[in-house]
Amino acid sequence: MASETEAPEISSLFERLLRHRDLYFFLPFILGVSNNSVSRENSENPDQETSQETTSQRERIILVNPFTQGMVVVEGDSNLEALLRGWVNKDGQPPASKASIEAMPSVKIGEIEDGECVVCLEEWKSGEVVKEMPCKHKFHDECIQKWLVIHGSCPVCRYKMPVDEEDMGKKRDEERSRREIWVSLSFDSTRRTGDSNQVPSTDNEMEG
Amino acid sequence: MIDFARVQKELQECSREKDSSGIRVSPKSDNLARLTGIIPGPLGTPYEGGSFEIDITLPVIGFYFADGYPFEPPKMKFVTKVWHPNISSQSGAICLDILKDQWSPALTLKTALLSVQALLSAPEPDDPQDAVVAQQYLREYQTFVGTARYWTESFAKASSLGVEEKVQRLVEMGFPDGLVRSTLEAVGGDENLALEKLLSS
Repeated sequence: MASETEAPEISSLFERLLRHRDLYFFLPFILGVSNNSVSRENSENPDQETSQETTSQRERIILVNPFTQGMVVVEGDSNLEALLRGWVNKDGQPPASKASIEAMPSVKIGEIEDGECVVCLEEWKSGEVVKEMPCKHKFHDECIQKWLVIHGSCPVCRYKMPVDEEDMGKKRDEERSRREIWVSLSFDSTRRTGDSNQVPSTDNEMEG
Repeated sequence: MIDFARVQKELQECSREKDSSGIRVSPKSDNLARLTGIIPGPLGTPYEGGSFEIDITLPVIGFYFADGYPFEPPKMKFVTKVWHPNISSQSGAICLDILKDQWSPALTLKTALLSVQALLSAPEPDDPQDAVVAQQYLREYQTFVGTARYWTESFAKASSLGVEEKVQRLVEMGFPDGLVRSTLEAVGGDENLALEKLLSS
């Protein structure tokens, strides 16, 4: 494996993206953002911008699809990469597998049963049919489905639902190759003006 | 989309409870997507006595165009300036896992605000939002406590409004400026208490 070049990794990423719904929304989304290419950083701190105006800090991202030989050049503002990474690399428990969602039994709410669906905060009505997770917590079918396709954990006790094994096995590799791709194919077309020697005063901000 | 029916229920719950936590949530506008939270500074911390305003925005749309709140965490940030390792001293951004990847739809605006309040009591300087504050917390703890307390006095107290006027009035009575300020600070900004104390000293 060590002798392999980056190419198979890229294709595996694309393959996975194509199969997965990631890419389904991925490309249109990128193209949508690229229209919007001029922006300013730190718009929340306008007072700090006076001395170091950011002039068109645009960035190009080139996407190459090894299957179709297609190439997409994306121009965007400097936050584009971070934005994309945020969307591609969603942290937290991965979605529950389709099979595990479908396997949840439907149960009937008893006549004297108290409680509520914690997702919509509606109280149980007696005789209502709801879904029960393996940890025995109950939710409306629609409510819990909406959550489990985002994060496969119980909203109440964080019991972990099974995830798609394919996704799990590849996850580590993908995370590494994603990073490589974005770093190697994106570059700044212009630099900041006027701050070549000074350390910006906002540098104490960290992503936490 | 945001589950507005749920947001309504949460707000009703909050106004009904009126409990000892002192946490309040109220909508900023009619559409319920922008709200304001108030959390009292926890007792026994440099934030004690302060009242901290939190700006809350509910996400309308989620990951991959899925539903927004409560499937996505509410976006929260401090409006009131606060000196804390996990809160940006400049933007008010909060570093708290339940507002990010550890969010669960079983949490509510109220419980999320309770978690923010707990964060004020238990800073985590090893996972900082504001590196300068975190360094100070780790290296000069007493200075940190002093600064945090000073920021609470200056920005998080209703009584800190108009503090200059109070100082001026007391100075005009013949008390030295420095003593007036330290006395006001000691009594939490209450002008009458400060005067009593100044007269008895």
